[in-house]
Amino acid sequence: MEKVKGCVFFLGDDIDTDQILPGYAMSVPASQLGQYALKGSSIPDFVEKVQSGDVIIAGRNFGCGSSREQAPEALKQAGVGAIVADSFAMIFRKNSINIGLPIITSECIDELKKDISEGDVVEVDIEEGKLLHVKSGKTYELNKLSPQALAIIKAGGLINRVREILRERGELDDH
Amino acid sequence: MNIIERIIADKARVPSVKAKDEITVPVDLVMAHDVTGPMAIEQFYRIGTAKVFDREKVVFVIDHNIPSSSVDSRLQHNTLKKFYREMGVKLYHQGDGVIHQLVAEEGLYKKGDIIVGADSHTCTAGAFGAIAIPVGATEMAAVMALGTIDIEVPATYLIEVKGSLNPGVFAKDVILYIISKFGTGGFTDTAVIFGGDAIRRMSYDEKMTISNMAIEMGAMISYVDQGDDIGEVEETFAIDASEIEPQVACPYSPGNGRPVREVEGTPISQVIIGSCTNGRLSDMEIAARVLEGKKVADTVTMIVVPASKRIAQQMDEKGFTKIFRKAGAIVVNPGCGPCFGAHQGLLCEDDVAVSTTNRNFPGRMGHKKAKVYLASPRTAAESAIAGYIVNSESHLQRGVD
Repeated sequence: MEKVKGCVFFLGDDIDTDQILPGYAMSVPASQLGQYALKGSSIPDFVEKVQSGDVIIAGRNFGCGSSREQAPEALKQAGVGAIVADSFAMIFRKNSINIGLPIITSECIDELKKDISEGDVVEVDIEEGKLLHVKSGKTYELNKLSPQALAIIKAGGLINRVREILRERGELDDH
Repeated sequence: MNIIERIIADKARVPSVKAKDEITVPVDLVMAHDVTGPMAIEQFYRIGTAKVFDREKVVFVIDHNIPSSSVDSRLQHNTLKKFYREMGVKLYHQGDGVIHQLVAEEGLYKKGDIIVGADSHTCTAGAFGAIAIPVGATEMAAVMALGTIDIEVPATYLIEVKGSLNPGVFAKDVILYIISKFGTGGFTDTAVIFGGDAIRRMSYDEKMTISNMAIEMGAMISYVDQGDDIGEVEETFAIDASEIEPQVACPYSPGNGRPVREVEGTPISQVIIGSCTNGRLSDMEIAARVLEGKKVADTVTMIVVPASKRIAQQMDEKGFTKIFRKAGAIVVNPGCGPCFGAHQGLLCEDDVAVSTTNRNFPGRMGHKKAKVYLASPRTAAESAIAGYIVNSESHLQRGVD
Protein backbone atom coordinates (compact mmCIF):
# COMPACT_ATOMS: atom_id res chain seq x y z
CA MET A 1 0.00 0.00 0.00
CA GLU A 2 1.33 3.41 -1.00
CA LYS A 3 2.38 5.84 1.70
CA VAL A 4 0.38 9.06 2.16
CA LYS A 5 2.43 12.22 1.83
CA GLY A 6 1.19 15.76 2.38
CA CYS A 7 0.95 18.85 4.54
CA VAL A 8 -0.46 18.80 8.05
CA PHE A 9 -3.68 20.47 9.24
CA PHE A 10 -4.37 20.45 12.97
CA LEU A 11 -7.83 20.13 14.55
CA GLY A 12 -8.85 19.77 18.19
CA ASP A 13 -11.03 17.37 20.24
CA ASP A 14 -14.64 16.38 19.47
CA ILE A 15 -14.68 17.53 15.84
CA ASP A 16 -18.29 16.57 15.10
CA THR A 17 -19.88 15.63 11.80
CA ASP A 18 -21.76 18.95 11.55
CA GLN A 19 -18.39 20.73 11.50
CA ILE A 20 -17.02 18.28 8.93
CA LEU A 21 -20.07 18.38 6.65
CA PRO A 22 -22.96 20.66 7.70
CA GLY A 23 -26.52 19.31 7.55
CA TYR A 24 -27.52 21.66 4.73
CA ALA A 25 -24.85 20.09 2.51
CA MET A 26 -26.12 16.53 2.97
CA SER A 27 -28.36 16.83 -0.06
CA VAL A 28 -25.87 18.18 -2.59
CA PRO A 29 -24.97 15.79 -5.41
CA ALA A 30 -22.46 13.22 -4.14
CA SER A 31 -19.74 14.40 -6.52
CA GLN A 32 -19.83 17.93 -5.03
CA LEU A 33 -19.43 16.98 -1.36
CA GLY A 34 -15.73 17.84 -1.38
CA GLN A 35 -16.60 21.53 -1.73
CA TYR A 36 -18.14 21.51 1.75
CA ALA A 37 -15.40 19.69 3.67
CA LEU A 38 -14.88 21.22 7.14
CA LYS A 39 -17.12 24.20 6.23
CA GLY A 40 -18.47 24.29 9.76
CA SER A 41 -15.10 23.94 11.47
CA SER A 42 -12.41 26.31 12.69
CA ILE A 43 -10.91 26.10 9.16
CA PRO A 44 -13.94 27.01 7.01
CA ASP A 45 -11.64 27.73 4.04
CA PHE A 46 -10.08 24.25 4.27
CA VAL A 47 -11.23 23.39 0.74
CA GLU A 48 -9.20 26.27 -0.71
CA LYS A 49 -6.12 25.29 1.29
CA VAL A 50 -6.05 21.49 1.10
CA GLN A 51 -4.05 19.62 -1.51
CA SER A 52 -4.21 15.98 -2.48
CA GLY A 53 -2.57 13.76 0.14
CA ASP A 54 -2.72 16.23 3.02
CA VAL A 55 -2.99 14.84 6.52
CA ILE A 56 -5.29 15.91 9.36
CA ILE A 57 -3.95 15.49 12.88
CA ALA A 58 -6.68 15.78 15.51
CA GLY A 59 -7.52 15.04 19.13
CA ARG A 60 -10.08 12.83 20.81
CA ASN A 61 -13.41 11.59 19.45
CA PHE A 62 -12.96 12.81 15.86
CA GLY A 63 -16.17 12.47 13.82
CA CYS A 64 -18.61 12.26 16.72
CA GLY A 65 -22.31 12.78 16.01
CA SER A 66 -24.19 11.83 12.91
CA SER A 67 -23.90 8.66 10.81
CA ARG A 68 -23.59 10.74 7.63
CA GLU A 69 -21.10 9.07 5.32
CA GLN A 70 -21.04 12.40 3.49
CA ALA A 71 -18.59 13.57 6.22
CA PRO A 72 -15.64 11.25 5.44
CA GLU A 73 -16.60 11.29 1.75
CA ALA A 74 -16.27 15.10 1.69
CA LEU A 75 -12.82 14.91 3.29
CA LYS A 76 -11.76 12.21 0.84
CA GLN A 77 -13.00 14.17 -2.16
CA ALA A 78 -11.30 17.32 -0.91
CA GLY A 79 -8.02 15.43 -1.06
CA VAL A 80 -7.38 14.34 2.53
CA GLY A 81 -4.99 11.39 2.38
CA ALA A 82 -5.16 10.28 5.99
CA ILE A 83 -6.48 11.34 9.40
CA VAL A 84 -4.40 10.71 12.51
CA ALA A 85 -6.16 11.26 15.85
CA ASP A 86 -6.22 10.28 19.52
CA SER A 87 -9.52 8.49 18.88
CA PHE A 88 -12.42 8.34 16.44
CA ALA A 89 -16.17 8.02 16.99
CA MET A 90 -17.39 4.59 15.92
CA ILE A 91 -19.62 5.33 12.93
CA PHE A 92 -17.17 7.83 11.44
CA ARG A 93 -14.35 5.32 11.82
CA LYS A 94 -16.30 2.55 10.10
CA ASN A 95 -17.56 4.87 7.35
CA SER A 96 -14.03 6.04 6.59
CA ILE A 97 -12.72 2.53 6.30
CA ASN A 98 -15.73 1.41 4.26
CA ILE A 99 -15.03 4.11 1.66
CA GLY A 100 -11.28 3.54 1.76
CA LEU A 101 -10.22 6.72 3.61
CA PRO A 102 -7.26 5.80 5.85
CA ILE A 103 -7.77 6.83 9.47
CA ILE A 104 -5.44 5.80 12.24
CA THR A 105 -5.07 6.44 15.96
CA SER A 106 -1.89 7.30 17.80
CA GLU A 107 -0.71 7.73 21.38
CA CYS A 108 1.70 10.45 20.16
CA ILE A 109 -0.78 13.21 19.30
CA ASP A 110 0.51 15.59 21.99
CA GLU A 111 4.07 15.03 20.79
CA LEU A 112 3.04 15.54 17.17
CA LYS A 113 1.30 18.79 18.05
CA LYS A 114 4.42 19.99 19.87
CA ASP A 115 7.01 18.96 17.27
CA ILE A 116 5.19 19.64 14.01
CA SER A 117 3.99 22.98 12.61
CA GLU A 118 0.84 23.38 10.55
CA GLY A 119 1.80 22.97 6.90
CA ASP A 120 4.83 20.76 7.56
CA VAL A 121 5.15 17.76 5.28
CA VAL A 122 4.62 14.30 6.78
CA GLU A 123 4.61 10.81 5.34
CA VAL A 124 2.12 8.32 6.77
CA ASP A 125 2.63 4.58 6.41
CA ILE A 126 -0.79 3.14 7.18
CA GLU A 127 0.27 -0.48 6.86
CA GLU A 128 3.28 -0.19 9.16
CA GLY A 129 1.72 2.40 11.49
CA LYS A 130 4.43 5.06 11.17
CA LEU A 131 4.43 8.81 10.63
CA LEU A 132 7.58 10.54 9.35
CA HIS A 133 8.08 14.26 9.91
CA VAL A 134 10.06 15.02 6.76
CA LYS A 135 11.77 18.22 8.01
CA SER A 136 13.19 16.68 11.22
CA GLY A 137 13.45 13.11 9.99
CA LYS A 138 11.76 11.94 13.20
CA THR A 139 9.41 8.97 13.07
CA TYR A 140 6.32 8.56 15.29
CA GLU A 141 4.38 5.39 16.15
CA LEU A 142 0.78 5.01 15.03
CA ASN A 143 -1.58 2.20 16.10
CA LYS A 144 -1.85 -0.32 13.29
CA LEU A 145 -5.30 -0.90 11.83
CA SER A 146 -7.02 -4.24 12.45
CA PRO A 147 -6.39 -6.81 9.69
CA GLN A 148 -10.08 -6.54 8.71
CA ALA A 149 -9.95 -2.76 8.37
CA LEU A 150 -6.70 -2.88 6.45
CA ALA A 151 -8.13 -5.51 4.09
CA ILE A 152 -11.13 -3.30 3.34
CA ILE A 153 -8.95 -0.25 2.68
CA LYS A 154 -6.67 -2.31 0.44
CA ALA A 155 -9.65 -3.72 -1.46
CA GLY A 156 -10.73 -0.14 -2.15
CA GLY A 157 -13.68 -0.20 0.22
CA LEU A 158 -16.38 -2.48 1.60
CA ILE A 159 -18.37 -2.71 -1.63
CA ASN A 160 -15.63 -4.73 -3.30
CA ARG A 161 -15.58 -7.11 -0.35
CA VAL A 162 -19.35 -7.64 -0.54
CA ARG A 163 -18.98 -8.43 -4.23
CA GLU A 164 -16.46 -11.12 -3.32
CA ILE A 165 -18.85 -12.69 -0.81
CA LEU A 166 -21.78 -12.68 -3.24
CA ARG A 167 -19.59 -14.14 -5.99
CA GLU A 168 -18.58 -17.00 -3.67
CA ARG A 169 -22.28 -17.66 -2.99
CA GLY A 170 -22.96 -17.61 -6.73
CA GLU A 171 -25.37 -14.71 -6.24
CA LEU A 172 -23.50 -12.20 -8.36
CA ASP A 173 -23.69 -12.56 -12.09
CA ASP A 174 -21.08 -10.13 -13.37
CA HIS A 175 -19.46 -12.09 -16.16
CA MET B 1 -23.22 -13.86 28.95
CA ASN B 2 -25.11 -10.67 29.59
CA ILE B 3 -28.39 -9.76 27.89
CA ILE B 4 -26.68 -8.02 24.94
CA GLU B 5 -24.37 -11.00 24.34
CA ARG B 6 -27.29 -13.45 24.69
CA ILE B 7 -29.31 -11.63 22.02
CA ILE B 8 -26.32 -11.50 19.65
CA ALA B 9 -25.44 -15.17 20.24
CA ASP B 10 -29.06 -16.29 19.74
CA LYS B 11 -29.35 -14.37 16.49
CA ALA B 12 -25.99 -15.61 15.21
CA ARG B 13 -26.91 -19.18 16.26
CA VAL B 14 -23.75 -19.72 18.25
CA PRO B 15 -23.57 -21.09 21.82
CA SER B 16 -21.87 -18.00 23.23
CA VAL B 17 -20.11 -14.75 22.42
CA LYS B 18 -17.93 -12.42 24.44
CA ALA B 19 -16.62 -8.88 24.04
CA LYS B 20 -14.22 -8.38 21.13
CA ASP B 21 -15.47 -11.49 19.23
CA GLU B 22 -15.89 -10.79 15.52
CA ILE B 23 -19.21 -12.19 14.41
CA THR B 24 -21.69 -12.10 11.52
CA VAL B 25 -25.25 -11.47 12.66
CA PRO B 26 -28.51 -11.70 10.64
CA VAL B 27 -30.48 -8.46 10.54
CA ASP B 28 -34.25 -8.17 11.13
CA LEU B 29 -34.70 -4.61 9.88
CA VAL B 30 -32.51 -2.29 7.84
CA MET B 31 -33.52 1.31 7.40
CA ALA B 32 -32.45 4.69 6.08
CA HIS B 33 -33.94 8.10 5.35
CA ASP B 34 -33.82 10.67 2.58
CA VAL B 35 -30.35 12.09 3.31
CA THR B 36 -28.52 8.81 3.96
CA GLY B 37 -30.58 6.45 1.79
CA PRO B 38 -29.59 7.77 -1.65
CA MET B 39 -25.87 7.21 -0.96
CA ALA B 40 -26.67 3.70 0.31
CA ILE B 41 -28.65 3.00 -2.86
CA GLU B 42 -25.82 4.28 -5.04
CA GLN B 43 -23.41 1.93 -3.24
CA PHE B 44 -25.93 -0.92 -3.49
CA TYR B 45 -26.03 -0.53 -7.27
CA ARG B 46 -22.21 -0.64 -7.32
CA ILE B 47 -22.38 -4.09 -5.71
CA GLY B 48 -24.27 -5.23 -8.78
CA THR B 49 -26.72 -7.65 -7.17
CA ALA B 50 -30.23 -7.73 -8.60
CA LYS B 51 -32.24 -7.60 -5.37
CA VAL B 52 -32.20 -6.76 -1.68
CA PHE B 53 -31.90 -9.68 0.74
CA ASP B 54 -35.54 -9.36 1.88
CA ARG B 55 -37.74 -6.54 0.64
CA GLU B 56 -40.02 -6.78 3.69
CA LYS B 57 -37.08 -5.94 5.93
CA VAL B 58 -35.75 -2.92 4.05
CA VAL B 59 -37.41 0.39 4.95
CA PHE B 60 -36.91 3.95 3.77
CA VAL B 61 -38.51 6.95 5.41
CA ILE B 62 -38.50 10.45 3.95
CA ASP B 63 -38.26 12.57 7.07
CA HIS B 64 -35.30 14.95 6.90
CA ASN B 65 -36.28 17.33 4.10
CA ILE B 66 -40.03 17.00 3.95
CA PRO B 67 -41.59 18.64 2.02
CA SER B 68 -38.40 18.99 -0.02
CA SER B 69 -36.31 21.97 1.03
CA SER B 70 -34.32 22.25 -2.21
CA VAL B 71 -34.18 20.83 -5.71
CA ASP B 72 -31.32 18.57 -4.60
CA SER B 73 -33.34 17.23 -1.67
CA ARG B 74 -36.23 16.44 -4.03
CA LEU B 75 -33.80 14.44 -6.14
CA GLN B 76 -33.01 12.42 -3.01
CA HIS B 77 -36.73 11.70 -2.52
CA ASN B 78 -37.02 10.54 -6.08
CA THR B 79 -33.99 8.26 -5.73
CA LEU B 80 -35.78 6.50 -2.86
CA LYS B 81 -39.05 6.32 -4.81
CA LYS B 82 -37.28 4.77 -7.79
CA PHE B 83 -35.62 2.17 -5.56
CA TYR B 84 -39.01 1.45 -3.96
CA ARG B 85 -40.52 0.77 -7.39
CA GLU B 86 -37.59 -1.35 -8.55
CA MET B 87 -37.01 -3.42 -5.41
CA GLY B 88 -40.40 -3.47 -3.70
CA VAL B 89 -38.93 -2.27 -0.40
CA LYS B 90 -41.04 -0.35 2.13
CA LEU B 91 -41.23 3.42 1.68
CA TYR B 92 -42.86 6.09 3.83
CA HIS B 93 -42.87 9.40 1.97
CA GLN B 94 -46.03 11.29 2.92
CA GLY B 95 -44.89 13.07 6.03
CA ASP B 96 -45.52 9.96 8.10
CA GLY B 97 -42.94 10.80 10.72
CA VAL B 98 -39.37 10.63 11.89
CA ILE B 99 -37.88 7.24 11.08
CA HIS B 100 -37.20 6.15 14.68
CA GLN B 101 -40.69 7.03 15.85
CA LEU B 102 -42.38 5.61 12.77
CA VAL B 103 -40.74 2.17 12.76
CA ALA B 104 -41.69 1.82 16.44
CA GLU B 105 -45.32 2.86 15.84
CA GLU B 106 -45.63 0.63 12.81
CA GLY B 107 -44.34 -2.34 14.81
CA LEU B 108 -41.61 -3.08 12.29
CA TYR B 109 -39.42 -4.61 14.99
CA LYS B 110 -39.74 -6.29 18.36
CA LYS B 111 -37.73 -6.97 21.48
CA GLY B 112 -34.59 -8.96 20.73
CA ASP B 113 -34.43 -7.96 17.05
CA ILE B 114 -31.26 -6.74 15.35
CA ILE B 115 -31.80 -3.41 13.57
CA VAL B 116 -29.34 -1.65 11.31
CA GLY B 117 -30.04 2.00 10.50
CA ALA B 118 -28.24 4.60 8.45
CA ASP B 119 -28.85 7.22 11.10
CA SER B 120 -27.03 7.70 14.35
CA HIS B 121 -30.23 7.86 16.42
CA THR B 122 -31.13 4.31 15.41
CA CYS B 123 -30.29 3.54 19.05
CA THR B 124 -33.77 4.85 19.99
CA ALA B 125 -35.07 1.29 19.45
CA GLY B 126 -33.12 0.13 22.49
CA ALA B 127 -36.07 1.45 24.50
CA PHE B 128 -37.99 -1.65 23.39
CA GLY B 129 -35.14 -4.11 23.89
CA ALA B 130 -33.94 -4.25 20.28
CA ILE B 131 -30.24 -4.21 19.42
CA ALA B 132 -30.05 -1.24 17.05
CA ILE B 133 -26.78 -0.49 15.31
CA PRO B 134 -26.06 2.79 13.50
CA VAL B 135 -24.14 2.60 10.23
CA GLY B 136 -23.17 4.76 7.27
CA ALA B 137 -24.35 4.45 3.70
CA THR B 138 -21.84 1.88 2.45
CA GLU B 139 -22.43 -0.53 5.32
CA MET B 140 -26.18 -0.06 4.84
CA ALA B 141 -25.71 -1.09 1.20
CA ALA B 142 -23.76 -4.16 2.29
CA VAL B 143 -26.51 -5.16 4.74
CA MET B 144 -29.22 -4.65 2.08
CA ALA B 145 -27.31 -7.08 -0.14
CA LEU B 146 -26.26 -9.67 2.42
CA GLY B 147 -28.92 -9.49 5.16
CA THR B 148 -26.17 -9.68 7.76
CA ILE B 149 -23.79 -7.35 9.52
CA ASP B 150 -20.26 -8.04 10.74
CA ILE B 151 -19.74 -6.67 14.22
CA GLU B 152 -17.23 -6.79 17.00
CA VAL B 153 -19.16 -7.75 20.13
CA PRO B 154 -18.96 -4.66 22.36
CA ALA B 155 -18.11 -4.51 26.04
CA THR B 156 -21.30 -3.82 28.03
CA TYR B 157 -21.75 -1.18 30.73
CA LEU B 158 -24.75 -0.66 32.99
CA ILE B 159 -25.98 2.75 34.14
CA GLU B 160 -28.48 2.46 36.97
CA VAL B 161 -30.60 5.42 38.04
CA LYS B 162 -32.01 4.59 41.45
CA GLY B 163 -34.62 6.24 43.61
CA SER B 164 -37.19 8.96 42.93
CA LEU B 165 -36.73 11.81 40.48
CA ASN B 166 -37.28 15.31 41.80
CA PRO B 167 -40.41 17.20 40.71
CA GLY B 168 -39.78 18.97 37.40
CA VAL B 169 -37.13 16.42 36.36
CA PHE B 170 -37.94 14.52 33.18
CA ALA B 171 -36.31 11.78 31.09
CA LYS B 172 -34.49 14.45 29.07
CA ASP B 173 -32.96 15.91 32.23
CA VAL B 174 -31.82 12.43 33.25
CA ILE B 175 -30.08 11.66 29.96
CA LEU B 176 -28.49 15.13 29.70
CA TYR B 177 -27.17 14.64 33.24
CA ILE B 178 -25.80 11.20 32.34
CA ILE B 179 -24.08 12.53 29.20
CA SER B 180 -22.53 15.38 31.19
CA LYS B 181 -21.13 12.85 33.65
CA PHE B 182 -19.60 10.47 31.11
CA GLY B 183 -18.79 12.81 28.22
CA THR B 184 -19.43 12.65 24.48
CA GLY B 185 -16.85 9.91 24.01
CA GLY B 186 -17.57 8.16 27.31
CA PHE B 187 -18.96 4.94 25.85
CA THR B 188 -17.44 4.86 22.35
CA ASP B 189 -17.77 1.39 20.77
CA THR B 190 -19.60 -0.08 23.77
CA ALA B 191 -23.09 -1.29 24.65
CA VAL B 192 -24.83 0.74 27.35
CA ILE B 193 -27.72 -0.64 29.37
CA PHE B 194 -29.95 1.86 31.17
CA GLY B 195 -31.49 0.36 34.27
CA GLY B 196 -32.42 1.06 37.87
CA ASP B 197 -35.92 1.60 39.24
CA ALA B 198 -36.12 5.24 38.10
CA ILE B 199 -35.61 4.13 34.48
CA ARG B 200 -37.78 1.02 34.76
CA ARG B 201 -40.72 3.10 36.00
CA MET B 202 -40.56 5.33 32.92
CA SER B 203 -43.09 5.14 30.07
CA TYR B 204 -41.91 3.92 26.66
CA ASP B 205 -41.96 7.53 25.45
CA GLU B 206 -39.50 8.42 28.19
CA LYS B 207 -37.37 5.33 27.63
CA MET B 208 -37.09 6.35 23.95
CA THR B 209 -35.81 9.79 25.03
CA ILE B 210 -33.14 8.11 27.17
CA SER B 211 -32.13 5.53 24.57
CA ASN B 212 -32.14 8.10 21.74
CA MET B 213 -29.22 10.04 23.18
CA ALA B 214 -26.88 7.12 23.99
CA ILE B 215 -25.09 7.91 20.72
CA GLU B 216 -24.15 11.29 22.20
CA MET B 217 -21.80 9.30 24.45
CA GLY B 218 -20.48 7.37 21.45
CA ALA B 219 -22.28 4.10 22.25
CA MET B 220 -22.59 1.41 19.58
CA ILE B 221 -25.68 -0.11 21.22
CA SER B 222 -28.20 1.28 23.69
CA TYR B 223 -30.51 -1.00 25.63
CA VAL B 224 -33.12 -0.14 28.23
CA ASP B 225 -33.60 -2.82 30.87
CA GLN B 226 -36.66 -4.90 29.93
CA GLY B 227 -36.84 -6.69 33.28
CA ASP B 228 -34.83 -9.72 32.08
CA ASP B 229 -31.70 -10.92 33.85
CA ILE B 230 -29.03 -8.45 32.76
CA GLY B 231 -26.11 -10.70 33.62
CA GLU B 232 -22.49 -9.80 34.02
CA VAL B 233 -21.34 -6.43 32.69
CA GLU B 234 -17.95 -4.74 32.42
CA GLU B 235 -18.84 -2.10 35.00
CA THR B 236 -21.93 -0.71 36.70
CA PHE B 237 -22.40 2.99 37.42
CA ALA B 238 -25.04 3.92 39.99
CA ILE B 239 -26.68 7.34 39.94
CA ASP B 240 -28.91 8.60 42.73
CA ALA B 241 -32.02 10.01 41.02
CA SER B 242 -32.40 12.67 43.69
CA GLU B 243 -29.12 14.33 42.68
CA ILE B 244 -30.52 15.19 39.21
CA GLU B 245 -31.82 18.73 38.73
CA PRO B 246 -33.49 20.03 35.55
CA GLN B 247 -30.69 20.21 33.00
CA VAL B 248 -29.71 22.11 29.89
CA ALA B 249 -26.83 21.11 27.64
CA CYS B 250 -25.10 24.41 26.94
CA PRO B 251 -23.51 25.28 23.58
CA TYR B 252 -21.79 23.63 21.80
CA SER B 253 -21.99 20.03 22.96
CA PRO B 254 -24.66 17.62 24.24
CA GLY B 255 -22.08 16.82 26.92
CA ASN B 256 -22.22 20.35 28.39
CA GLY B 257 -25.11 19.58 30.72
CA ARG B 258 -25.57 21.94 33.66
CA PRO B 259 -28.41 22.62 36.09
CA VAL B 260 -30.88 25.01 34.45
CA ARG B 261 -30.60 27.38 37.44
CA GLU B 262 -27.00 28.16 36.45
CA VAL B 263 -28.12 29.72 33.15
CA GLU B 264 -31.58 30.90 34.19
CA GLY B 265 -32.33 34.31 32.73
CA THR B 266 -30.36 33.81 29.50
CA PRO B 267 -32.39 35.66 26.80
CA ILE B 268 -33.57 33.44 23.93
CA SER B 269 -34.96 34.01 20.44
CA GLN B 270 -36.23 30.57 19.39
CA VAL B 271 -37.73 27.47 20.99
CA ILE B 272 -38.12 24.10 19.32
CA ILE B 273 -40.22 21.30 20.75
CA GLY B 274 -40.12 17.99 18.95
CA SER B 275 -37.77 15.53 17.19
CA CYS B 276 -37.02 11.85 17.69
CA THR B 277 -35.80 12.81 21.17
CA ASN B 278 -38.85 14.67 22.49
CA GLY B 279 -41.56 14.85 19.84
CA ARG B 280 -43.96 12.30 21.28
CA LEU B 281 -47.49 12.81 22.63
CA SER B 282 -46.41 12.91 26.28
CA ASP B 283 -43.83 15.59 25.43
CA MET B 284 -46.50 17.59 23.62
CA GLU B 285 -48.83 17.22 26.59
CA ILE B 286 -46.19 18.60 28.97
CA ALA B 287 -45.60 21.59 26.69
CA ALA B 288 -49.31 22.16 26.03
CA ARG B 289 -50.12 22.23 29.75
CA VAL B 290 -47.47 24.90 30.27
CA LEU B 291 -48.64 26.97 27.29
CA GLU B 292 -52.41 26.67 27.79
CA GLY B 293 -53.86 30.17 28.00
CA LYS B 294 -50.37 31.73 27.78
CA LYS B 295 -48.49 33.55 25.05
CA VAL B 296 -45.05 32.89 23.66
CA ALA B 297 -42.84 35.92 24.38
CA ASP B 298 -42.93 38.36 21.46
CA THR B 299 -39.16 38.05 21.06
CA VAL B 300 -39.36 34.28 20.59
CA THR B 301 -40.14 32.16 17.53
CA MET B 302 -41.56 28.87 18.74
CA ILE B 303 -41.65 25.81 16.49
CA VAL B 304 -43.46 22.59 17.37
CA VAL B 305 -42.59 19.53 15.32
CA PRO B 306 -44.39 16.27 16.15
CA ALA B 307 -42.38 13.08 15.69
CA SER B 308 -45.06 11.42 13.58
CA LYS B 309 -48.32 11.93 11.75
CA ARG B 310 -50.07 9.76 14.31
CA ILE B 311 -48.82 12.02 17.10
CA ALA B 312 -49.89 15.09 15.12
CA GLN B 313 -53.40 13.62 14.82
CA GLN B 314 -53.54 12.87 18.54
CA MET B 315 -52.38 16.43 19.24
CA ASP B 316 -55.29 17.68 17.17
CA GLU B 317 -57.76 15.41 18.98
CA LYS B 318 -56.54 16.43 22.42
CA GLY B 319 -56.54 20.13 21.58
CA PHE B 320 -52.76 20.53 21.97
CA THR B 321 -52.28 21.88 18.43
CA LYS B 322 -54.87 24.57 19.14
CA ILE B 323 -53.16 25.49 22.42
CA PHE B 324 -49.79 25.83 20.67
CA ARG B 325 -51.21 27.94 17.84
CA LYS B 326 -53.17 30.18 20.21
CA ALA B 327 -49.99 30.70 22.22
CA GLY B 328 -48.22 31.87 19.07
CA ALA B 329 -46.23 28.77 18.15
CA ILE B 330 -45.72 27.52 14.60
CA VAL B 331 -46.79 23.89 14.34
CA VAL B 332 -45.00 22.28 11.41
CA ASN B 333 -45.36 18.88 9.79
CA PRO B 334 -43.73 15.80 11.37
CA GLY B 335 -40.08 15.46 10.42
CA CYS B 336 -36.49 16.27 11.29
CA GLY B 337 -36.38 19.78 9.80
CA PRO B 338 -35.49 22.14 12.65
CA CYS B 339 -33.17 19.67 14.37
CA PHE B 340 -30.57 19.13 11.68
CA GLY B 341 -30.18 22.56 10.18
CA ALA B 342 -31.47 22.20 6.65
CA HIS B 343 -34.85 23.96 6.83
CA GLN B 344 -37.81 24.95 9.04
CA GLY B 345 -36.17 27.41 11.37
CA LEU B 346 -32.47 28.03 10.75
CA LEU B 347 -30.70 30.30 13.21
CA CYS B 348 -28.34 33.16 12.48
CA GLU B 349 -25.24 34.30 14.29
CA ASP B 350 -26.86 36.10 17.22
CA ASP B 351 -29.72 33.66 17.82
CA VAL B 352 -30.08 31.71 21.05
CA ALA B 353 -32.41 28.72 21.04
CA VAL B 354 -33.78 26.30 23.59
CA SER B 355 -34.49 23.01 21.87
CA THR B 356 -35.72 19.59 22.92
CA THR B 357 -33.62 17.97 20.19
CA ASN B 358 -30.41 15.99 20.64
CA ARG B 359 -27.47 18.01 19.30
CA ASN B 360 -26.15 21.54 19.70
CA PHE B 361 -22.87 21.29 17.83
CA PRO B 362 -21.58 24.48 16.15
CA GLY B 363 -23.77 25.08 13.09
CA ARG B 364 -26.18 22.26 13.88
CA MET B 365 -29.20 24.55 13.38
CA GLY B 366 -27.76 27.14 11.05
CA HIS B 367 -24.98 29.65 11.72
CA LYS B 368 -22.06 28.13 13.56
CA LYS B 369 -22.11 30.85 16.19
CA ALA B 370 -25.83 30.41 16.94
CA LYS B 371 -26.26 29.03 20.44
CA VAL B 372 -28.52 26.06 21.16
CA TYR B 373 -29.42 24.89 24.67
CA LEU B 374 -30.82 21.36 24.78
CA ALA B 375 -33.58 20.92 27.32
CA SER B 376 -36.75 19.06 28.31
CA PRO B 377 -40.13 20.06 26.79
CA ARG B 378 -41.06 21.54 30.17
CA THR B 379 -38.02 23.83 30.31
CA ALA B 380 -38.43 24.72 26.63
CA ALA B 381 -42.12 25.63 26.95
CA GLU B 382 -41.63 27.73 30.08
CA SER B 383 -38.67 29.49 28.51
CA ALA B 384 -40.76 30.26 25.41
CA ILE B 385 -43.27 32.15 27.53
CA ALA B 386 -40.63 34.01 29.52
CA GLY B 387 -38.33 34.88 26.62
CA TYR B 388 -35.38 33.66 28.65
CA ILE B 389 -34.24 30.33 30.08
CA VAL B 390 -36.44 29.33 33.01
CA ASN B 391 -35.81 26.70 35.64
CA SER B 392 -39.06 24.73 35.85
CA GLU B 393 -38.53 23.95 39.50
CA SER B 394 -38.60 27.63 40.35
CA HIS B 395 -41.99 27.91 38.65
CA LEU B 396 -43.24 24.91 40.53
CA GLN B 397 -42.32 26.63 43.77
CA ARG B 398 -44.21 29.71 42.66
CA GLY B 399 -47.26 27.55 42.26
CA VAL B 400 -47.70 27.71 38.49
CA ASP B 401 -48.24 23.96 38.33
